[in-house]
Amino acid sequence: MTDTIAVEAKSARKTYGQGTEAVTALKDVSVQISKGEFFTLLGPSGCGKTTLLRLIAGFETPTSGEIWLDGKDISADPPNKRPINTVFQSYALFPHLTVAQNIGFGLEMLGRPRKEVAETTAEMLALVRMESLAGRRTAQLSGGQQQRVALARALAPRPKVLLLDEPLSALDLKLRKEMQSELKRLQTETGITFIFVTHDQEEALTMSDRIGVMSAGNILQIGAPRDIYTSPANRFVADFIGETNFIDATVDATGATLSGGQHIDIAPQRIAGRSGKMTLALRPEQLRIVPAGHGLPATLTHSVYFGTDIHCHLALPDGTELVARMQAAADGSAAYTPGTQVGLILPPDAIQLLED
Amino acid sequence: MPSSSEDLAETARVRRNWLLSTPALVLLALGAAGPLLIVAVYSFLEAGEYSGVEWRFSLDAWFQILFHRDIFDDTISLADAHLTIFWRSVKLSLLTTIATFIFGFPTAYFIATRAPKQRALWLFLITIPFWTNLLIRTFAIMEVLRNQGILNTLLMKIGLITTPIQILYTDTAVLIGMAYVYLPLMVLPMYAAIDRFDFRLVEAGYDLYASRWQVLRRVILPIVKPGAIAGSILVFVPSLGAYVTPRVLGGGKNMMIGNFIDLQFGQGRNWPLGAALSMVLLVIVGAALLAYVRVSTKENPHG
Amino acid sequence: MKKLLTSVAALATVASMASAEGELNIFNWGNYTNPDLIKKFEETYDVKVTVTDFDSNTTALTKIEAGGHGFDIVVPTHSYIPIYVEKGLLMKPGIPEMENYHNLAPQWVDVDWDPKREYSVPWQWGTTGVAVNTKAYSGDVNTAAIFMDPPAELVGKVNVVPEMQDVISMALMYVGGTPCTTDKTMLKAARDALVAAKPKWMSMDYGMTEKMSNGDVMASVNWNGSTFRIRNNNPDVVYGYPKEGYIVWMDNAAILNDAKNADNAKLFINFIMDPENAAMISSFARYANGITGSEAFMPDDMKTAPEIVVPADLVAAGKFTGACPKEAQDMYTAIWTELQK
Repeated sequence: MTDTIAVEAKSARKTYGQGTEAVTALKDVSVQISKGEFFTLLGPSGCGKTTLLRLIAGFETPTSGEIWLDGKDISADPPNKRPINTVFQSYALFPHLTVAQNIGFGLEMLGRPRKEVAETTAEMLALVRMESLAGRRTAQLSGGQQQRVALARALAPRPKVLLLDEPLSALDLKLRKEMQSELKRLQTETGITFIFVTHDQEEALTMSDRIGVMSAGNILQIGAPRDIYTSPANRFVADFIGETNFIDATVDATGATLSGGQHIDIAPQRIAGRSGKMTLALRPEQLRIVPAGHGLPATLTHSVYFGTDIHCHLALPDGTELVARMQAAADGSAAYTPGTQVGLILPPDAIQLLED
Repeated sequence: MPSSSEDLAETARVRRNWLLSTPALVLLALGAAGPLLIVAVYSFLEAGEYSGVEWRFSLDAWFQILFHRDIFDDTISLADAHLTIFWRSVKLSLLTTIATFIFGFPTAYFIATRAPKQRALWLFLITIPFWTNLLIRTFAIMEVLRNQGILNTLLMKIGLITTPIQILYTDTAVLIGMAYVYLPLMVLPMYAAIDRFDFRLVEAGYDLYASRWQVLRRVILPIVKPGAIAGSILVFVPSLGAYVTPRVLGGGKNMMIGNFIDLQFGQGRNWPLGAALSMVLLVIVGAALLAYVRVSTKENPHG
Repeated sequence: MKKLLTSVAALATVASMASAEGELNIFNWGNYTNPDLIKKFEETYDVKVTVTDFDSNTTALTKIEAGGHGFDIVVPTHSYIPIYVEKGLLMKPGIPEMENYHNLAPQWVDVDWDPKREYSVPWQWGTTGVAVNTKAYSGDVNTAAIFMDPPAELVGKVNVVPEMQDVISMALMYVGGTPCTTDKTMLKAARDALVAAKPKWMSMDYGMTEKMSNGDVMASVNWNGSTFRIRNNNPDVVYGYPKEGYIVWMDNAAILNDAKNADNAKLFINFIMDPENAAMISSFARYANGITGSEAFMPDDMKTAPEIVVPADLVAAGKFTGACPKEAQDMYTAIWTELQK
């Protein structure tokens, strides 16, 4: 099976500084990334995702542990000896070169024949649809255009792995959406392994084959977007990936008992034999609001209108705050004015149980 | 035809602007153009019997620059002595510029890559030589290089040599002295350029398979080039007119343009030739500056 | 604060003295005027003296010709005195009638450049010869061959001071010509000899007092006073008077025509003809002065110094060279340019 693995981190650890000032940015992380995969490292800033990326690129060497590529330990190789290219967050385009010269730079450094460099550059310009701007200096390009040049430049040498360090963070929303599908298209067309770093969970969910959620130097969970979303491994993942309601409860074989004494049914496969103090996690779109007298009693505190849907903020009698999301036009939710007493239905098979 | 009130206001505004800039213009005219004009006029006069000039128009000085009337047989030939002296000065200035670049670039790079707090200290150290007089700095170098000086004494103590190496009064000594004296003029603009340099581009270079040497040559140097050119001009121009350093360290056996001009105004008693030579020097410097402007505007058409 | 007030007061004193009647402004070579001499004059006549330096005869002449200099006394080399006179820059202060005039040594009274001493009085006189370190070369030093055709021991160790006038004149005399000649055969021979000798020189530099004292340079065209100082530091160094011809020169004090303090200037001219005062000049710069009886007040080492007392058989070889006429001067410059190109 190892021949399907492109990149592997084996207990990779990175510590900056010495003695009492030492900061460990990456704590013995192990991960296997398959060939042709679109793999995303997701986490808040400072979680170690960029450090892991730089270890793979070769800009940093691991304090301990190893980085493997195609079944070989490359930990000691400098970045220019690794068939890995990077799309930098700042793009880092060469300001003294034209668009075409930027794209051809890597091939030139590899000593490829002039003809091949020219052909590949033209191919790449077409791939990112920048043919008309080949002779421009990079300072004359818009953010989106620079992004495409950075991509083309990193793809031109046909690396085994492409690293993307928050490449879309500087773009506005509309352009970002465009580039997301563009990236996905490029990855499919080229078949190159993409390792994508982002703090934007939506970006991660829409683009990735698999996601590694990181926090404080550890990978907390690795899985397909759907699995991560529907079955977060812990409270951090659940909270970071999408919005989640958390309710403290005591769990037994039949369900959970809230601090106010109300009982909630939970599907047995969700309980999976566990019991004791746990946190119930529930996505806002899974909560259903019904007229008072049904389900759990709750008070509508306020609602926020989002166009396609409405977020209703609710409070349980013990003070726990919850958010329910509902389609705006579907029902008369506008009728729910602040202070209204309502009932809440928690679908038994949608509730996640998290041990803190 | 009566002019409108707007025209009048515009005229008044233009006049006021001119009036306001008068002091600066007068200062420029008197301080820069005036002396230059005097030098230019002098170059077209006859030399005085013992010093100064005779107020009679003459092209002798300009003729003498390029042509040499043999004092023995009166034949006229190209003034190879003058060309030799000019070429020596230009060559030395070029070598000085190259030497200051070779030492100045790593120095500037080192300073620019220190922590911001340390940089101020390093820059301060670089400027320290400016506090002392040029002559004193040159004599300090002489103290290092001379036969019984620091360098030779040290080498003999270590046992590397048994007799002193004659460095003083050689071209090498002049080059060492000039490079030392003008090094700060290279370091400061190079530092400014490297300070602005985005070091993430170095990572991009490594990432795209460039070796350390290729990163230096293909990424760093092209981008800091304006600083290198500015530094080169700052070094080249004063080197060309250098007088004290070649005289003290070179032993005075061979003249530079500066010494040659001094000879005309002093012992040679030929002010017009001195003035004409000064004008030629000015033209060379002007050409160098013009070339710089050309190169720098071509490199960066939008800034 | 008190210190500051004192300095302000001192400044005010200086300022008031400067504007007082008792003033004298002297324009002389640098490091050439004994401060004790000035102090003595100031105290004797209650005059405030200011000494300004120049570094060459041409700069001094140029500055004075330009006017507005404010100097009363100038000290040019003998060769320049006729130029000053011709340009009408000097006054005749009645030197022969002065009280100390009789102290002038007879040979310095009726001189070419100032017959009867109407314009100037001797300041110091000296010679330009060669200085040789006997550790490096023990042969005959009384020859210009020391630098015109250096013996093997001195090749690459000889310096020639870059005094165009002196060096070319000595070269001319070495090849059998006379200074300031326009004889092209002689000039050509001098040039060829100089160009041939140059590769054997180490340098063409000033500052030999220091460099020959510490052994960096083994031989040099040099002035006698400087060589005297070298010998005091380094007993191996001797002074040679080239028998082919060496240079004798005299610097002379004269009063400028536009002197504002002519009376004080006259006092000063008379003052330096006093043997005791002339001795003060010599003991500072280490050259002879031309005032009879001054030897009695000079340091003992100067009375017998071989750098100052010219050997009898070599006196005749000494030549006073005037400022060359323009034609000769241009040839000097052409030779010099070719030599240093």
